[in-house]
Formats: sequence, C-alpha cells, structure tokens
Amino acid sequence: MIEVTNIHKRFGAVQALAGVGFAAADGKATALLGPNGAGKTTLMRTLVGLLARDRGTVSIDGIDPAVDPLGARRNIGLLTDQFGLYERLSTREYLRYFGRINGMDQAAIVRRTGEVTELLGLEDILDRPCRGFSQGQRIKVALARTLLHRPRNLLLDEPTRGLDVMSTRALRRALAALRAEGCCIILATHVMQEVTQLCDDVIVIAKGQTVAQGSPQELCRQTGIASLEDAFVHLVGTEEGIAA
Amino acid sequence: MRVKNLPLWIVVMTKEFTEALRDKRTLGMLLMLTLVYPAVIGLILHNMIDRGTRTGKAGIALAVIGGAQAPTLLAQLREKSVKVVDPGPLDEADIQALLREKKVVGVLRLDPEFGHYYAEVRPAPLALWFDSSAGSREQRLEVESILRDYANGVAGARLEAHGVSPAVLSPLRLERYDTAGGGAGSSGRIGTMLGMFFVPVFLFGLSMAIDSTAGERERRSLEVLMAQPMRARELVVGKWLAASALAAIGLALELSVAHAILSALPLEEIGLSWRLGLPMLAVVIAAALPLCLFVGALQVAMAMNSKTFKEAQASATLVTVLPMVPLLAIPMLDLSTQPWMYAVPVLSNQTMLQSVASHQALGALPWVLTCAVPLLLAWAAVAFAARRMRSEQYVMGI
Repeated sequence: MIEVTNIHKRFGAVQALAGVGFAAADGKATALLGPNGAGKTTLMRTLVGLLARDRGTVSIDGIDPAVDPLGARRNIGLLTDQFGLYERLSTREYLRYFGRINGMDQAAIVRRTGEVTELLGLEDILDRPCRGFSQGQRIKVALARTLLHRPRNLLLDEPTRGLDVMSTRALRRALAALRAEGCCIILATHVMQEVTQLCDDVIVIAKGQTVAQGSPQELCRQTGIASLEDAFVHLVGTEEGIAA
Repeated sequence: MRVKNLPLWIVVMTKEFTEALRDKRTLGMLLMLTLVYPAVIGLILHNMIDRGTRTGKAGIALAVIGGAQAPTLLAQLREKSVKVVDPGPLDEADIQALLREKKVVGVLRLDPEFGHYYAEVRPAPLALWFDSSAGSREQRLEVESILRDYANGVAGARLEAHGVSPAVLSPLRLERYDTAGGGAGSSGRIGTMLGMFFVPVFLFGLSMAIDSTAGERERRSLEVLMAQPMRARELVVGKWLAASALAAIGLALELSVAHAILSALPLEEIGLSWRLGLPMLAVVIAAALPLCLFVGALQVAMAMNSKTFKEAQASATLVTVLPMVPLLAIPMLDLSTQPWMYAVPVLSNQTMLQSVASHQALGALPWVLTCAVPLLLAWAAVAFAARRMRSEQYVMGI
C-alpha cells in the first residue's frame, strides 16, 4: 500500500512536484500517466527515498522512506530508466549480487533466479556477461533484478520499452500474477493499451500535480470522452502526452 | 526470505573485486607493477652500486698515447693503481670512438714535442680527452689529481736543483678526512629507490577506485544501488576495502619480488644493507597495510569529489604524484631521519624499510605513527565519501 499526500519537491528554480497525492492499494495495478517532465520519475525516486521531499507525506506499507529508507526499500522493487547493469558480470552474477543486497540466502537466490529466468525468458543470456546486451535484453535483466526479491510494492517506469512482443506479453502476465498475489504495482507508462489491459486505477499528473485519479472507466466518464487516450490528453490539457 | 547473511560491505567488496579481476587494464597494471617495476628498480640500483663502488682509484683505465716520452709519469699512474693502456697512435675520430666504448675513463695524448719541451724546461703539451656524459667524473678527477701531483713533483725537483726549497710551492698542507665511508654518498639515493617500492600502492587499486565510484555514477548504476536496502556507509566501505585489498595484494607481491632481487644485490659494499628475513618482510608488509587502506580511501574520496569520470582520473593522478615529493625532496634537502617523517605516509614506510633492512633498532613511536596516521586519514576520507554518497545531489547528479 502506497499513500502519498501533497508532496512537493523543488530543484533550484524548477518545481518538479507541486502537490502530488494519491493512494495505490495492494492487489491493484495503478497507472501513472503524465506528459514528459510531469514529475513521474521524480515521484518514484521520492517514494523510494532517493530524493528528499520538501513537504508532504509518504507511506510505504506504513513506513515513511524519509524516516526509515532501508525499511521502505526492503518492500519496494524499483525500475527506472537506468538499468544499472555491470558489463563484467553475467546475468546470474548480477542477480546474485542484488539478491544478497536484499538479504536473500543462497537457496532463495537460486530458486528465484530460476523463476524470473523462466518468466522473462533469460535462459540464453543467464551466463553471458552483460556487455553487448541489446536494449531489450538489458531491460529484461533489470526487470528480473526488480522482481527477484518478491517486493510487495513495485514501482516500474516504462517497463515494456524496448521489449519484443513475446517479452511484453510475458511481463504483463507476470504483473497480473503479482497483482493477484496482493502486490501493489505502480506503472508509469505512455502505452494506453497497457493501462486498459492491466491497470485497475489511473493517476494523472501534470506540472507536478495530481490532475485526476480513478479507474480508466471513471476517467472516461469524468471527462465525457470514450477513449482513455483522448481523456488523458483532455485532462493534462496538451498533446504532449501522446507525442511522448 | 530475509536472513542473516554476509555483511553488505563484504558483498559489495566481493563484487567489486570480481569485476576488477576481469578488467584487463587492472590485471595488466598489477602484473607490470609487481614484476617489471621491482626488476627495473633492481637494475637501476645495480647500476648505482656499480658506479658507487667505482669511485676509488682501483679499476681506472686510462689510454695514454705517446707515453714512452714520460716513463716517470706512467710509473706514477701505475703506482696509483691506474691501468695504463697504450692504444697506439690515434687521430681525433679514433679517440672519440674509443671513448664511446666506455672501456677507458679518458685518453691522455702526449704531444710528439712533449719530451723536447720537457727537456727545455718549458710547459710540456699534453691533452686529456674524456666523455663527460659517461658518468665517470670522479675517476677523471682522480686522473687529473695524479697529473697535478706529478707536475708539482717535477716542479719541486727543478726548484731544488736551483737551490730553492720545494716547500715554496706548498704554502698550505691540506689533509682530507672523509667520514662518509665507502658508499654512504649513494646510500641516500638508494634509500629513495627503496621508497619508490611504495609508490605503486597508489596505482594498484586506482582503476577500481575510480570505476566503482565516479564510473558507476556516470553510468547511472549508482542510482539503482542506492535504491536498495543498503546504507551509503556499507556501499562506500565495500568499495574502499576492495580498492585497498588490491593495493595490499599488489604491494605484498611487489615487495616479495623486490626482496628476491635486493637479496641478490651487493648492497653491503656501498654501506646499505638488505639483511631482511622473510618474517621481517612480512612485518614490513603488515606495517604498510594502513597505507593501503589510506590510499584506497583517498582515491575513493577524490573520485567521489569529482564531477565527472575524467575529472576523477585527473585528481587521482595528482594524488599519485604527491607521495613522490617527500621521497625526492628529503635526499635533496639532505635531511637526517626525524620522528616527524614517520607521520608522513609513504615517507614513513620508506624510512622504516631502510632502518629495518639495515637492522637498526626502531622504537615504538615509528611503528605507532606509521600505522596510526594513515588509519586516521583513511577514516576521515571514508567519512567524507559516505557523506557524499548520502547526498541526493551526488547520487542523482543534480
């Protein structure tokens, strides 16, 4: 469960977040929609405690990341646009490294490595050094790292970018399964098909503020527009959301 | 799923170490500095010892052309242990070629009119050819001194023949007492060479220290790491200890190779000693471990204080040059060993190695200072690096 109330974050003259608030429930996938520069990535970094908020409150399963960042991070799997692979480590070694950092024992690491390998189709690159991986392979390894320790809360920033159709489908199936297991999933995406297929709830942010929150159907109803994409454009008041 | 596992700094250290050993640059540097570097220093030392032991008159070879005109001069040269060689008549080019071979310290050519002038009590012409770049200055000065003595002897005899005391020519009687002994003149320089064995400590873990901090930040993988349940201090300590461990392993290997080389060199002949057994060598290496920890911490801190990877490389190069300054400055300033020298990293290790190698007794203070000062500096550098790692401006590059 992730609850955010009126958080603000400023970088010098730039007000990146100017009053974002929402609640993302367990067992639900929540889409985070917003045009480029709306503050989605800043919001995710703030949720995990990488950035300190100027004001507002954040609760990750009841833990404030500003007070207990390690406690909050233990229950979070974060995937941003930075994959953080190491060229001289194989995929298996990379997963073992992050498994250990997340407090997993050797048996758990071996078991979960097998599971995420099967889930994301990593068999052919499991024992290859990450040097020379394609964009799709890189994001799959980063996703495997994010899911490895079975976090109760997932923050995924455009997780399907660069993935082929098969991997995208596999990931969507995996996310649906995690949601069914009670995971709280926040998914920043520009792919409306993903939102309608996968997400129970949608948060729309623009210029660092929450513009709307509700199910896709509620947003369509609220705007009086049948298409979610058109409803989103209407809510943010720009064509930029589609162009991104 | 969460169990009590390895401390996270060990997890980070192991990963950094694994990665570094797969990096060809790091491995190449390690091999070159542990094997080639001591061998090169050994060769330089060998040449220095060779020159140092040739400072006496023994072994001076001098080619003399037209020597038959001055048998007394030749006798005096031989009496002073100069090996006189008669190369036969040579022109200027032949003389230069002979000097290039470096088998003789100089060529003394007596003019064909030498005997005639000598008989007429006129200055007898002779020329000394030498190569000032050959590094045999002291031997040449010795030859010139013998020639001066010979000339004074002849002048004295001539004055006496005219009823004048030869003492007129010698208003002073200077006696020289050299207290330096055999090769003490070169021992200071050789001490510097011993200090140079500690300089690679600054290079062994350099690549790892920069790559695991400034490199990781530039590749943006630091953000991923810092989003994990791990304290900034654990991350910094892991990276610091990995770089320090590489420096320590490199130094241990390098000093072992150096020990084998120095044990084979005749250092005793020039007043320097390498009477170091393996247990004492282990003690010297152990006493250098705080230096390795300090260097690793300094490099990590310097790299983390840089805005870019390139800037980190430039800063680290500066740090590598710094320890050489006291090593070169102390012999130039001709300073004797002082207690404060043990408080200067690298200089302390050099001074200690020199003392231990010549079986000089060391009190507790040098050991304490050599170990405590680098540890204190390492702690300060790690604290600084951990503070940087906690900063969102640093991790996120904002």
